[in-house]
Amino acid sequence: MSKGKMREEEIRRIIRADDEWEPVGPTPMPNLTDLRNWDFRLLDTYEPFYAPFCDLCCLCTYGKCDLTGDKKGACGIDIAAQQARWILICSLMGTAAHGAHGRHMIEHLIEKFGEDFKIDLGSQVNVEAPIIRTVMGLKPENLGDLRKAIEYVEREMIHLVSATHMGQEGSYRDFESKAFHAGMLDHVALEAADIAQIVGYGLPTSIADTALVDLGWGAIDVKKPTIVVVGHNAVTANAIVDYLRQHDLYDKVEVAGLCCTALDMTRYDSGAKVIGPLSRQRFFLKAGLADVVVTDEQCVVTDIPQMASEAGAAMIACSDKICYGLQEASAMAADDILKAVLEEQKQFLILDSEKAAEVIVRAALALAPTRQERKKIMTQEEAALVSAKCRGTCEACNRACPNLLPVNVAINQARQGDFAKLGSVFLRCIGCAKCEEACVNDIPIQKVMQAAAASDTYKIRAGRGPIHDVEIRKVGSPIVLGTIPGVVLFAGCSNFPGDIDDVAWLAEELARRKYIVTLSGCAAMAASMRKDEDGKTIYEKYIPEFDAGCIVNVGSCVSNAHVVGAAIKIANIFATLPNRANFELMADYILNRVGACGVVWGPYSQKALSIGTGAVRWGIPVVLGPHGSKYRRLFMSKKEASDWNVIDGRTKQVVNTEEPTPEHMMLVTETKERALVTIIKQCFRRNDTPPGRAIKLNSYISAYKQVIGGLPDDLQNFVRTEKEIPIVYKREVIAYLKEVGWKPKTVLSLPTLIGTYETKVPIEATIK
Amino acid sequence: MYAADVGPQYEGERIRKSDFHVEFGGPDVSHKGELVTVKGLDEVEHDKIIVTGPDIKDLPEGSSNRIFIKVDVAGEVLEKDLEAVLERRVHQYINYIEGVFHMAQRYDIWIRIHKNAFKKGLNSLEEIGRILIDLFTAELPVIEKMSIEFVTDPAKVEELLAEAIKVYKERDAKVKGLREEDVEEFYGCVLCQSFAPTHVCVITPERISLCGAINWFDGRAATKVDPEGAQFAIPKGNLVDEEGIGYDTVNQVVTERSMGETTQFSLHSALSFPHTSCGCFEAIVFYIPEVDGFGIVSRDFVGSTVIGDPFSTLAGMASGGKQNEGYLGIGVQYLLSPKFLIADGGYSRVAWMTSTLKELASEEVPEDLLAKIATEKDVQNVDELTEFMQNAGRL
Repeated sequence: MSKGKMREEEIRRIIRADDEWEPVGPTPMPNLTDLRNWDFRLLDTYEPFYAPFCDLCCLCTYGKCDLTGDKKGACGIDIAAQQARWILICSLMGTAAHGAHGRHMIEHLIEKFGEDFKIDLGSQVNVEAPIIRTVMGLKPENLGDLRKAIEYVEREMIHLVSATHMGQEGSYRDFESKAFHAGMLDHVALEAADIAQIVGYGLPTSIADTALVDLGWGAIDVKKPTIVVVGHNAVTANAIVDYLRQHDLYDKVEVAGLCCTALDMTRYDSGAKVIGPLSRQRFFLKAGLADVVVTDEQCVVTDIPQMASEAGAAMIACSDKICYGLQEASAMAADDILKAVLEEQKQFLILDSEKAAEVIVRAALALAPTRQERKKIMTQEEAALVSAKCRGTCEACNRACPNLLPVNVAINQARQGDFAKLGSVFLRCIGCAKCEEACVNDIPIQKVMQAAAASDTYKIRAGRGPIHDVEIRKVGSPIVLGTIPGVVLFAGCSNFPGDIDDVAWLAEELARRKYIVTLSGCAAMAASMRKDEDGKTIYEKYIPEFDAGCIVNVGSCVSNAHVVGAAIKIANIFATLPNRANFELMADYILNRVGACGVVWGPYSQKALSIGTGAVRWGIPVVLGPHGSKYRRLFMSKKEASDWNVIDGRTKQVVNTEEPTPEHMMLVTETKERALVTIIKQCFRRNDTPPGRAIKLNSYISAYKQVIGGLPDDLQNFVRTEKEIPIVYKREVIAYLKEVGWKPKTVLSLPTLIGTYETKVPIEATIK
Repeated sequence: MYAADVGPQYEGERIRKSDFHVEFGGPDVSHKGELVTVKGLDEVEHDKIIVTGPDIKDLPEGSSNRIFIKVDVAGEVLEKDLEAVLERRVHQYINYIEGVFHMAQRYDIWIRIHKNAFKKGLNSLEEIGRILIDLFTAELPVIEKMSIEFVTDPAKVEELLAEAIKVYKERDAKVKGLREEDVEEFYGCVLCQSFAPTHVCVITPERISLCGAINWFDGRAATKVDPEGAQFAIPKGNLVDEEGIGYDTVNQVVTERSMGETTQFSLHSALSFPHTSCGCFEAIVFYIPEVDGFGIVSRDFVGSTVIGDPFSTLAGMASGGKQNEGYLGIGVQYLLSPKFLIADGGYSRVAWMTSTLKELASEEVPEDLLAKIATEKDVQNVDELTEFMQNAGRL
């Protein structure tokens, strides 16, 4: 259904189209099909590669339907469309999680400050919401405008969810286009949510050098009453900090967090502590160090009430998304709630954040003196004793482990007093506890790990929020020219294939090669868990600016928006292309000219999927860790055999560039070494100048030689002219190219996909 | 391949005092230097690397030592004018070596060798010479022959330095004295057309590129070394606009390279047919109508300028490869040009500058005028600037 005049008028009112900050572009508040041609153009080159997790469809009562081979479901769906439908469903889950988070945060702050509360991101940030400006055409001025952004996301989502019903969409390409739409909406929600909390809570903005805060379970002073918040929405966590400040208790109570709530809480107050990423939830909660466990929303393991109960800790849930069947107690008097918590060990749902904060703090103060014995970490002697039944022979634990870790060997050695192996298993443990469930002897493996886990404290830099406009102006030219070889974002969860510190290794390898490295969420936390010989983490060693060779923690999951926003700002601020309601123009610019790459090394949640899928629509390739294959779909070109035609903006002619850049839009790599060279390659862009490409190729070859060995076997695809051959490897590369029959390729300064498919964007728009 | 890894990724590496095995030059060493000399093809023995005096492995750990790096090059198209440009590559390429850092230039160099690099086998200056010759000849095929001598013998360093200082002075005199009137060609650069498709930068002896990275000599060198590259020669042609300083050939080239977007450049005006700006400029000149004068702000200035806009806002107005009367992106060295905005009245038209830029300009601006240019320390807004200008007798 097309928009219709009334809807067009409505959109003009919503975005205040008459405001003249920029002319309104062709796609204000795009609907499901407005960007479909752009999506299809991407899919022409980057065909989806499906790896079904399940060959059946069991979504309706005609099923189960076998979709193997050429078979179709009762509704007519084939295996490709079914996989794409799952992708859309999962992307919608992710978008809904961020969108609902944004909705809650914005409504809470509007209640507090009113909808006219101004958006001011400080003197260094003029383009406050590049994603919202580009997608919607709205320049948000206040909290009320951010609510409009969430309303737009909600409106589109109802149509997207509808398309997943039986008998609706039937083409995998259209399902993918809709998944792109969900991913793009996810980014709108991320940006709205983070801007809201920055302005509402006064989180850092317009500064780069934010505080270094403590991370690690060893950082917690458990002698103090200890409150642990788990989740991604810091409304209640910040209320706890406020309550402690108001009652002069802040130095008497320990407040720490797991997952993104922790990161956002440290942006609010650098005295708060980060325990670690999602993979550490069970481990820490089972250790019983928390006197009160507080859950908010997203990425919260669902058996927390049971774990808290077993540890003798109080537990308060604070989100309507996670109620656990608990009694909602907002209407009760705090004293009454507290009495039930302390005397009956009753757990509650409290949606009133201020009341929750009071109960949580008072419960922690009351419980702590009685729980000192419960806070003792299992000793090696105790661990050996509880592991006594293990003989290391049944290997049920190993088979249950998604990372195939040698849990049996580790526990068997621990039984005999040697905890070295268990320590190394802990570093690679993703915290699912499947081993514990599988153990025929009921050994509490997660608890036994307490005796082996190092309790180091690490330093992480508090999330800094948006990238500054001046920073963009400084790096815009070298990024587009290619002389800053790339911008890399490490995002997502902690479902890592190897050691938890692999993200730090990757980040450092790239930073020392002059990439701009940004991190967020659980990836940002994991990256702090590695120290050099001087005991410093990457956050202490590298400058926290958006510049070559620097490392930036932007913040929590919702802060991912700022890195995509930075890519848009390069086109908008630096190249002065109008971004208002101009999605295709911006995405085309990013795809062809901004060497950005997203990395989700520990992909786990549906949120990470929606973030990654959205990134692809923006023209940003994504590299996944091995567990990402379970998302079922990749976007891979057929290398040199794919369609690499572009329009040369200078001549308006179609040119076959013959070079696969970026080579793929979403792919999985198995090892950190392979990830490193792949990330470097995914930052190549058609627009690279010869000196820029030479620098990128130098990084590619040097990294390849370092971690894999020899010259890469696909150099012929990426060397366009002899001038691009890095001088350090010139003789070697020339010999190789001669051997494989390399021929020079065209170098364009204005490559664009605009004009290679049907679009409302005129080719002239790319040449402002 | 080499004892240490080599590549641009190591540029910018810093080596702390406690980490170096030996250092050469630097603040604790009185005599140090480096000099590239273009010679005849029969005067240079290709690939010859000599170390005169103690080598890295012979020097005590933690010691600071004298050094002179004498590089001779020869090639059919090499000219004396390229010596300074090639000398800068010595700095760049030494910094490519992992565990080696090189700072400054000429008589002021400072080189440190990291303990780890020494342990890995980088124990001879000969190895650095080998890397330098490989990189120079791989990157610049115009160099047909190259030899290097590392001199660490204290007496010989002193002797070579005295000779080199004469050469540096001669070069400076030539550069400082060089005017647009003295040359036959200018240079153009379209590197930034990747993001500002209609922008063309024109580089003259009195107008450095607005990114500050390419002066006239660099442009000349670049066109020789890479005739197909982003920099190209522009025959000067005829001065067709004496007031605004505009040349017919420059206008032709700009018309062609900007795809017809711009047809006329006044090389030294911000008000009439100003030079376009891509977005890489180090500073912005902006017109302030209330005082009929200019403000100048550089990229590193934090906060609002006197007209209330920060650098980022003004940058948005100036950039994009369009002619924007009243806005001009410049390289900061242009502040020292004898032709600085000469078509608009030069410094007599400047009302406000950031204090950092004013300090830089103090070399060129008469003291009495300098005192009459306000900075962020004197005034905060246009009203205060107007009052300042009135008090200074400039309004």
